[in-house]
Amino acid sequence: MSTATSGADSATSTRPFARINWPAARAMLISEGRLLLRNPGVVIWTAVLPVAAAIILGSIPAVRSPSKDLGGLSFFQVYQPVLVFFAITLLAMQALPDVLTRYREMGVLKRLRTTPVSPGMLLFAQLTLILSVSIVCMALMVVIPPLGGAPWPRNPGGFVISYLLGAWAMLGLGMVIASLFHNAKVAAGFGSFLFFVMQFFAGLWLQRPNMPTWLRHISDYTPSGASVQALTDSSIGHWPSALHLIVLVVWGAATSRLAVRFFSWE
Amino acid sequence: MSVIEVTDLRKVYGPRTVVDGVSFSVEQGEIFGILGPNGAGKTTTVECIGGLRRRDGGSISVAGMDPANEDAALREVLGIQLQESRLPDKMSVIEALDLYASFYAEPHDPAELLERLGLVEQRKTYFAKLSGGQKQRLSVALALIGNPRVAILDELTTGLDPVARREVWDLLGELRGTGVTMLLVSHFMEEAERLCDRVVVIDHGRVVAADTPEGLAASVQADQRMSFLPSDPFDLAVLQALPDVHAVTTAADRVVVTGTDNVASAVIIALHERGISVGRLRVDQPSLDDAFVALTGSDEGPFSKGTAIR
Repeated sequence: MSTATSGADSATSTRPFARINWPAARAMLISEGRLLLRNPGVVIWTAVLPVAAAIILGSIPAVRSPSKDLGGLSFFQVYQPVLVFFAITLLAMQALPDVLTRYREMGVLKRLRTTPVSPGMLLFAQLTLILSVSIVCMALMVVIPPLGGAPWPRNPGGFVISYLLGAWAMLGLGMVIASLFHNAKVAAGFGSFLFFVMQFFAGLWLQRPNMPTWLRHISDYTPSGASVQALTDSSIGHWPSALHLIVLVVWGAATSRLAVRFFSWE
Repeated sequence: MSVIEVTDLRKVYGPRTVVDGVSFSVEQGEIFGILGPNGAGKTTTVECIGGLRRRDGGSISVAGMDPANEDAALREVLGIQLQESRLPDKMSVIEALDLYASFYAEPHDPAELLERLGLVEQRKTYFAKLSGGQKQRLSVALALIGNPRVAILDELTTGLDPVARREVWDLLGELRGTGVTMLLVSHFMEEAERLCDRVVVIDHGRVVAADTPEGLAASVQADQRMSFLPSDPFDLAVLQALPDVHAVTTAADRVVVTGTDNVASAVIIALHERGISVGRLRVDQPSLDDAFVALTGSDEGPFSKGTAIR
């Protein structure tokens, strides 16, 4: 007589399937991509606003000249990273928890659990898609403004590293929201709240150079403040500071760990 | 050979024992019913069998594997239709089948399954646009797409209108004999009577009966019950004198007689000899419903009344 090992009921299976079924992964990615195209609302809303703002800002000459009020940076240099970060935050805080909590509510994740593939594959498909969309948004915001005369990021390597670490922290946070809240509406509400908190520390309303010192210090330790500062440093030709990169890695690792621990299929 | 063996299964939620020592075995190719009132522990039982819940005691074997291990190999041989599981609104029927087919080593041909399930015309229809019966048929299709040896179907027809329910029953009837073992969870006795080879009745987490549907029905109620409208008044003692009759009563203007299997013909002949004809005759067979109510003391649920001859 065998007795089942104890464990959280209906929790994430701790036994990942040894082999990844690549044809299934591909089919899942195609299927989720197709569903995204059929419900383009969230993505369009997410992409159009920051991309349009970055392009418009970049095309106004006055916005490109250094300003004493912004510590010698131009308005564009301060806002481009904020807008780049805006897109990934909106996707990670709103689109990701929304789709995952709805899939859980609908029983899609539980149904996948009855098949040889893990529901984890659906999570990876969603993360891949959302990261891809946000990278496209980022690329548009970086590539198009220079066509109108705005500057390129002077340290592209630093910019990409900062971006990916920031994206990791944001997607991790989105996964934590999807883990903690099982009701899609509650998750969406909390996601909106967190989105505005993130944008505040990123400097959407009060630019980081204009923050009081104590507030800027707090912002340094938030994923959004660290990410925007790392992007800004890269775009003016420096390397991001170790502090900001470490902050992002810690946020990314901690949120991923929490999400893996608490995400449930039902 | 048994394809499913459940021995002394136990499941506890906090202080509540939901499944309390359930045992049964299912043979390959059988349609096996798990019946019981709401909250009896049916779904918990099949979710333990399907490896979706951890059991607290006992043993389960499905095609020789322990579902608690959640082997990918188990998922290949076991298809599960879950209660209340939906698909994304804008996923079409054929897209869903193709996607789920890609998960399995040796899937069914989606096109063939569509035909068998009568969904050919809906192949490009979005999930949200399907009728309730079509959604359930698609759900059955997804449980069968991996070419499983065993399919668990949980409350398949709950919430469907009678037409859609019959649609799904016809479909399962056609699947009989394809060699797929089906474990059917239901609280519709009519469903079990039509489809199941054998059933167990679970109540308060225990098996209270295990038999064929006919055997179960016959075991609880020996008496047949008939009622009719006589063409003329007559003395009830005439019927009470018949050896096949156990009791005679009247209800409104109808006469109600209970007795042996032969009670109906005995009463009709006796009255005919006295020139009285029997109108609006109704004969109730002991049904699985009666057995169910007798076994579980439950009279809840939308059970159909006994079969009637009018």
